[in-house]
Amino acid sequence: MKKINSILIANRGEIAIRISETARKMGIKTFGIKTSKEPGAYYLQFMDEIIDFTEQISEIPEFLDIDRIIYAVKEHNIDSVHPGYGYLAENPYFAQKCKDEKIIFIGPSPDSIYKLGNKTIAKQLASSHKVPLLEGSNGNIRNPKHAKQLANKIGYPVILKAASGGGGRGMRIVEKEEDIEKMFRMAQNEAEKAFADPSVFMEKYVRNPRHIEFQILADHHGNIIHLGERECSIQRKHQKLIEESPSIALSAELRQKMGESAINIAKASNYRNAGTVEFLLDETGNYYFMEMNTRIQVEHPVTEMVTGFDLVEWQIKIAQDEKLDIKQKDVKLKGWAIECRINAEDVQSGFTPNLGTIEKLSYSKGKNCRFDTGITEGSNVTPNFDSMLAKLICYGENREKAIASTLSALNKLQIQGIKTTIPFCKAVLNHPKFKSGDISTSFIAKDMDQLYHQEKDEEMIAAFWAALNYNVELETEDKTYVDYEKGKSMTPWLMNKRLKSL
Amino acid sequence: MFSKSKKGKQKFIACTDKNKKYEFANPKELYIKQGKENIPIEIVSDKKGFVYIIWKKKKYQVEIIEKNQNQYEVLVNGVSYPITVESPFSYKRRKFLAKSKEQSKVERIQAPMPGKIVEFLVEEDQEVKEGEPLLILEAMKMQNEIVSNIQGKINKINFNLEDNVMKDDVLIEVEK
Repeated sequence: MKKINSILIANRGEIAIRISETARKMGIKTFGIKTSKEPGAYYLQFMDEIIDFTEQISEIPEFLDIDRIIYAVKEHNIDSVHPGYGYLAENPYFAQKCKDEKIIFIGPSPDSIYKLGNKTIAKQLASSHKVPLLEGSNGNIRNPKHAKQLANKIGYPVILKAASGGGGRGMRIVEKEEDIEKMFRMAQNEAEKAFADPSVFMEKYVRNPRHIEFQILADHHGNIIHLGERECSIQRKHQKLIEESPSIALSAELRQKMGESAINIAKASNYRNAGTVEFLLDETGNYYFMEMNTRIQVEHPVTEMVTGFDLVEWQIKIAQDEKLDIKQKDVKLKGWAIECRINAEDVQSGFTPNLGTIEKLSYSKGKNCRFDTGITEGSNVTPNFDSMLAKLICYGENREKAIASTLSALNKLQIQGIKTTIPFCKAVLNHPKFKSGDISTSFIAKDMDQLYHQEKDEEMIAAFWAALNYNVELETEDKTYVDYEKGKSMTPWLMNKRLKSL
Repeated sequence: MFSKSKKGKQKFIACTDKNKKYEFANPKELYIKQGKENIPIEIVSDKKGFVYIIWKKKKYQVEIIEKNQNQYEVLVNGVSYPITVESPFSYKRRKFLAKSKEQSKVERIQAPMPGKIVEFLVEEDQEVKEGEPLLILEAMKMQNEIVSNIQGKINKINFNLEDNVMKDDVLIEVEK
């Protein structure tokens, strides 16, 4: 395989920028895609060349339009495609198309994507390679009646999952028999909508498990290693919100055992490139294979911080046939890293999407703190895309110090114009159970009384600020003052001016 | 930095959505009274233009994101506080009105977020229980169940299937 000189980044937001940074470091030319939905997007500033997809030529969203992307790659004579995460990252048909057209797809083979992307096949692979699994339907559910029979056999609670799903979509937990038929129909409906595949399967649902995943790297020369684990137990409706590496729950012994299982899954599927094997870990140290993600993950930076490896660099190196020269014994997890996802969501109204314009943004960046952002001042947050705006990743020598540095960075991170998950992240990091490491995937639902962090006198400060603004406004009205500044946001200078004019 | 008002003391009552009240006598004098002590407030702004209140050596980022007459939505360190500001007189009047006002019989179920209605689970005139799902709203690729918060009868459905709705649109009216 030839050396990669150019990449089309078939993605947007922070991951497009993340990929471009490594590409620049490696001297690779980057191409980005401009869409009509966000023609002035921040990520475009990081691309060497921009391919214009603003003209609407089909109903298919730009980053999912396989034919158009392939055509653009051929037209501009680009060597490779990096799909990022989401969109076409785990689409075996797209990977195959690239292969057919002699374009390097920076990721695993179409066959691996297909086998691991279909959870039913993935589970069969795991069970034939002695990797522990949860009891389940062993295949897709035929109809609501079948769902009921299976659930009664496995025992409640059970979880319904879309066979082609991921990222928490198309999953439903069913607690009791009355709900199973309705929930099955909803899961099917959601799967059909999201993945154009209504297949749904069922599993026993483990209460209070931890979500532990292993980062894998495999080259085309038979070398395969794991880069330790990430703990992603802080989830809401199966969406990860805070991730860390390593996990407090793993002893060196358990890490080795789970790492070997992860490598076995990768071997069984002839896996090449970077991938992630997800497990559920129960309270007694039993673990169960969930799925393998055949892409770079949102939370990859925590692994980069504790191992010192650039995962995107390795994805590119492996894609251009380089040998993985790191041996398992050379992989050392040093210190602790925590990632907070900054989403455009209103935590106080049930994490509903919050749309608008980023008016102001300020954050600190440093050796121990990384801010991977897809937005800048002036960026619009629209309903067209995922709500994740940025990721804050902080490092410390140990977990306690990592928590402290994350909290300090969260306090310095300010976004005006939109409500975000920052107050939520602060609440988690301040929670005594999180601090002690006593977490599970039901942490948010069970252990958090309040989902956002509040300082003691905040409410009174809010009341004061409202009263002061009202006071100033009333008095300007009294004097039949023509308010030229109406609609402007209040600043100390404006306030001062108004006070003086009274 | 602030000139003092020449007017006499003016008292304001700021109420939260949970009816907790804070009283400020002449807020323009920039202090908050705690016990018998008046503790001064400082208002500063950084080079980016973020505005902060400093009180008792603590810094709070403040921002008004919505305002409707005397109702404010204030963000303090990113957390939202709905505040209604009243004068002592208007406060009394509001309390009086709240007491005499008849309890509304119709519950309006609003959209918690903008999205598209992908499924209706009820029809008009149908009886529903509290917590019963009414419709499925799709937003940011997620399907969200909208449930009734009271027991009653479906009075009116204001939208059609596949309609796009805005946040706070009244989707369904349920009669107690």
